[in-house]
Amino acid sequence: MEKFNTLTEKKAGPTIPVIPSVERRMFLRSLGLASASALALLSSCAQEKLVAPSTGLGRSGARMGATILPDGTIDLGPGDIGISNLAYALDQLEVAFYHTAVEKAYGLNEMDRKVLVELHDHEIVHKEFFKALLGDNAIPMLDFDFSAINFNGRNDVFDAAQKFESVGVGAFNGTGPLIQDLEILKIAGKMVSVEARHATLARNMIYPRTYFALGHEMIDGNGLDWHLTPDEVLAKAQPFIKQKLSAANLPKM
Amino acid sequence: MNLLRILSDIEKVDADASERFLFSRRKLLKTTSVAALATPAFFAATVNKAFASHADVVAVLNFALTLEYLEAEFYKMGNMTPGLIPESDRQVFMKIGEHEQQHVNFLKSQLGGEAIPMPNFDFTAKGMFPNPFSNYQVFLTLSQAFEDLGVRAYKGQAPKLKDDKPVLLAALKIHSVEARHAAEVRLIRNQRVWASEQEPGGVPAMVYKDENNVKHHDAIDLISLVDDRLLRQNGTQQIAEMVVRESFDEPLTKEEVYMIASPFIRENMP
Repeated sequence: MEKFNTLTEKKAGPTIPVIPSVERRMFLRSLGLASASALALLSSCAQEKLVAPSTGLGRSGARMGATILPDGTIDLGPGDIGISNLAYALDQLEVAFYHTAVEKAYGLNEMDRKVLVELHDHEIVHKEFFKALLGDNAIPMLDFDFSAINFNGRNDVFDAAQKFESVGVGAFNGTGPLIQDLEILKIAGKMVSVEARHATLARNMIYPRTYFALGHEMIDGNGLDWHLTPDEVLAKAQPFIKQKLSAANLPKM
Repeated sequence: MNLLRILSDIEKVDADASERFLFSRRKLLKTTSVAALATPAFFAATVNKAFASHADVVAVLNFALTLEYLEAEFYKMGNMTPGLIPESDRQVFMKIGEHEQQHVNFLKSQLGGEAIPMPNFDFTAKGMFPNPFSNYQVFLTLSQAFEDLGVRAYKGQAPKLKDDKPVLLAALKIHSVEARHAAEVRLIRNQRVWASEQEPGGVPAMVYKDENNVKHHDAIDLISLVDDRLLRQNGTQQIAEMVVRESFDEPLTKEEVYMIASPFIRENMP
């Protein structure tokens, strides 16, 4: 099993006392530890290793970050790392999709283009956030296949956009209760409502001011939005992602 | 109208507190050794914990219910007023009003006997918005205010529900519906879809207080990270800062939300 992260081997307890804050920040980032949360996760994993010393093989080696399984499947990892990697994968997908749409889509008017650029740019921010948060625990850059999407049809492009954004809403809603770190829960909350705004905007680009625009088919009789389990999220995203992803180690409700 | 006082009164009265106490005690007796139980501090700590977490959840849900009452009543009155909402927007506001009523019913079903009754509302906010149901633009402005406020209110409460997964899940599922509503109303008003302090769109500025925050994590400088990756033209610091700002919605505390909502709530409770 290939591990992206060699950090666990030698950095069980990084001490960073004398570096001034800016450099310390850069230092932390270069280590992929650009977060207090990541540090907390690292130390908890270090403790885990004391209980179950890693042989570099088998499940114990998979307990920290993303890993590539022998068949090439990318395992998102456990706990908050796995949940963050799931969000990171979706953000990568959205960025790649909007980038392709802005470059390839045919028959877009000026407003269409402006909307797609705005959505792209927000997703860049979300993606870079998770990348920095995850550091060495992140999944690699994924490759995408958007051949199923008709980029010659403006409505098809916005329909794909609203589907990706809706999956984002369902994913954040479904994984929110599984998050352990309160700081990550707060940040997920700050992002999910932006995803919901995106979905609404993309839907309004097709059928403005309608039940459809409000996402009515995803909202149940209690007025509650949909939520998706990690496996349901992957089932919806996987057709567009060339690498196979696994959420097997993510927490369950 | 002192909503905070009412809420704290509710928490004090809390009819089934004694029942919960008994439940906790019974459970403890089943699962804990008598020796541990004999330690008063241990006993008190455990009971307090069980109590606090339930009271916290009830307080959060009643807070949410207050806002949902406000929204449901607002749309009910708007949808009932002939000639207020143009045909082009009727579908949207019928559906939004339906969702808000569903939220009220859902929260009441969760709270059971602990649900607070619906207060009386003053949608002019003591004259600040003189004609909410005869001037469509005023109606729209208030709608945006209530929806964006709702998004921020749920976002602020979610962390308090962390220990009650089903309730947290439900709250998140209401939260994103409020965000869909907010975006829809903003589009109808030709406002940008994202909340910002610069463009309150006639909504009281407090609703967007601190919405411009770009610091979401101590050690992650998002503006530098995204600066040269944006598609938006002229990737300057200001553009990057704006994009980062737009990419996150910010929470409000319960106290901040009450301060904004209070003028809409009359003193006399039913």
